[in-house]
Amino acid sequence: MVERLLNLFWILLGSGAAWHAWTLGLRGPSGPESGLFPFIASCAIAALGLALMLARGSRVTRPDWPDAISGLRAVGVAIGIALMAFGMDRIGFVAAAAIAMPVLLRTIDRASWLETALLTTGSIAAIVLIFGRLLGMPLPRGPWGW
Amino acid sequence: MDALSGLAMGFSVMLTPANLYYCFLGSLIGTMVGVLPGLGPLAALALLLPVTFTLSPIAGLAMLAAIFYGAMYGGSTTSILVNIPGEAASVITCLDGHQMALQGRAGAALGMAALGSFIAGTLSLVVLTFFAPVLAAIAIRFGPPENFGLMALGLVCTLFMITGSKLKGLLMIALGFLLSSVGMDMVNGNERFTFGITNLTAGVELLSVVIGLFGISEILLNVERIVQNTLVAERIRKLLPTWSDWKASFAPILRGSGLGFILGIVPGGGPITASFMSYAIERRIAREPERFGKGAIEGVAGPESANNAAVAGSMIPLLSLGIPSNPITALLLGALIIQGIQPGPLFISQRPDLFWGVVAAMYIGNVMLLVLNLPLIGLWVQMLRIPYRFLFPVIVLLAMVGTYSANKNVFDIWVMLGFGILGWLLRKLEYDIAPFVLAFVLAPLLEQSLRQSMTMSVDGAMILFQRPVSAGLVAASLLLLVLMVIRQFKTKRGDS
Repeated sequence: MVERLLNLFWILLGSGAAWHAWTLGLRGPSGPESGLFPFIASCAIAALGLALMLARGSRVTRPDWPDAISGLRAVGVAIGIALMAFGMDRIGFVAAAAIAMPVLLRTIDRASWLETALLTTGSIAAIVLIFGRLLGMPLPRGPWGW
Repeated sequence: MDALSGLAMGFSVMLTPANLYYCFLGSLIGTMVGVLPGLGPLAALALLLPVTFTLSPIAGLAMLAAIFYGAMYGGSTTSILVNIPGEAASVITCLDGHQMALQGRAGAALGMAALGSFIAGTLSLVVLTFFAPVLAAIAIRFGPPENFGLMALGLVCTLFMITGSKLKGLLMIALGFLLSSVGMDMVNGNERFTFGITNLTAGVELLSVVIGLFGISEILLNVERIVQNTLVAERIRKLLPTWSDWKASFAPILRGSGLGFILGIVPGGGPITASFMSYAIERRIAREPERFGKGAIEGVAGPESANNAAVAGSMIPLLSLGIPSNPITALLLGALIIQGIQPGPLFISQRPDLFWGVVAAMYIGNVMLLVLNLPLIGLWVQMLRIPYRFLFPVIVLLAMVGTYSANKNVFDIWVMLGFGILGWLLRKLEYDIAPFVLAFVLAPLLEQSLRQSMTMSVDGAMILFQRPVSAGLVAASLLLLVLMVIRQFKTKRGDS
């Protein structure tokens, strides 16, 4: 089911991108225009998506989908990353990481609160020290200046 | 400049405290990545790529190359002691290496893996030293049509790299091609597929794509299952192999070196194929093949030598022609491009300091790795005790900071997350994502050289066939394409 949906997505993506590439122009006076290469790639995506939809041999017979608990762990990690991406611009790297790290740590194996606090503090400090200080990379800061 | 004076120059460039430090750091991280199951060299390189932005090109490249071959060294430790491959090229080492450990010979297996890797790495570096400049000297006369031929050949070779479904692999190449066209067209300034999003004007960031596809997707896959490591040896003794071990291993090391080096050059080859083929050959020619799988030292020496030799081999097409032969060298190519350096036929003549510096760094790194892998084996054994649940949040933080560092833009982190989820889904559905990255890196170069060729031509596309070298390269690409179609057809007929 998921694979069929993905194949359908390839067909739609390829068709849409091919149409957009067509509007950019395929050939001009001095050869290929901006649209030619993406047009070829898009047509290939649509055609291959269609071929995958029709060819049974290329389908995964038993996809290794996670069970509910394992799946939740992966979702937890994705949410942790999203939380941090959302927070980094607004409250700065340190605060965003301090919120996201416990989500990540508690998602996987129910780390104890002490372990969570120690690892969160340690890893944030290490990253600020290595990237922010030693490598001179400006990490995003919050409204309070850190 | 001849090879020896070039090499002397390379050593003079590399032998500064800062460059040696980054080479050592790369070797250390590479070994760590190889030892720890769940983080392959590709993901580690993707994660650490941003760190190199603040370094000089030579320090950055020396560090990344060291991570690549360091992982090949370190991978054997986990295979031998835990029976879990630290990285994919060490899968085959589990068979005999772990059996040796169960028989109380973990030290000999680890020692032979490290020494075999060192010998193979050094031998293949000697060949690299003399062969790459010859290839580059031929390629120096290349113009846009020849570059197009070269890139087309590189892209066709990508087809041979596809594992699993060819249709899915081809789709990944087309997707890489399409995604690389997002952003401003460098020839005429037209915006393509940006849909008014300012963050897309400069294109999709390579770093976000590779960290997402390889790093984040690997983390998502790993957190689904918590791997429990079971060490078979607490203390490792007698790391130096005995005379009889050497006698049994000498020929497999030499064969592994040659095979690995050749497979490293060939697109689609690389360390994984090299180690598997070396094992198959050793088993086939052995007097007592029944010993294999039960602790035969040849089954450790051959594959471990082959995967290290393949690393040096894969540097030849990358540094002399600008063609990556596997996903890891595609990442190294990306690192060079990000640094503003375009590897290709002119690379050795224009940046001899960098080329010879990298070669020298690999010689130095090889020695560093021998030191790291033999006397410090106890440290790596202890590292195997760190639970993954403590490691992965740190890796996630590193990925995020690394992605952010490229443009100081949070938008790149969202792109990384999107590609991480896409990578997870594609890997579940058995898509080979490596060709995607190769196409993503090669496609802009291919498009640019074709359009430059067409601009300078009065006969349109015929220019590609009017110049002997470009005609040869395009013909070779077409021939390879036909060969692949025939092979595919034969496989299909054989199956039915």
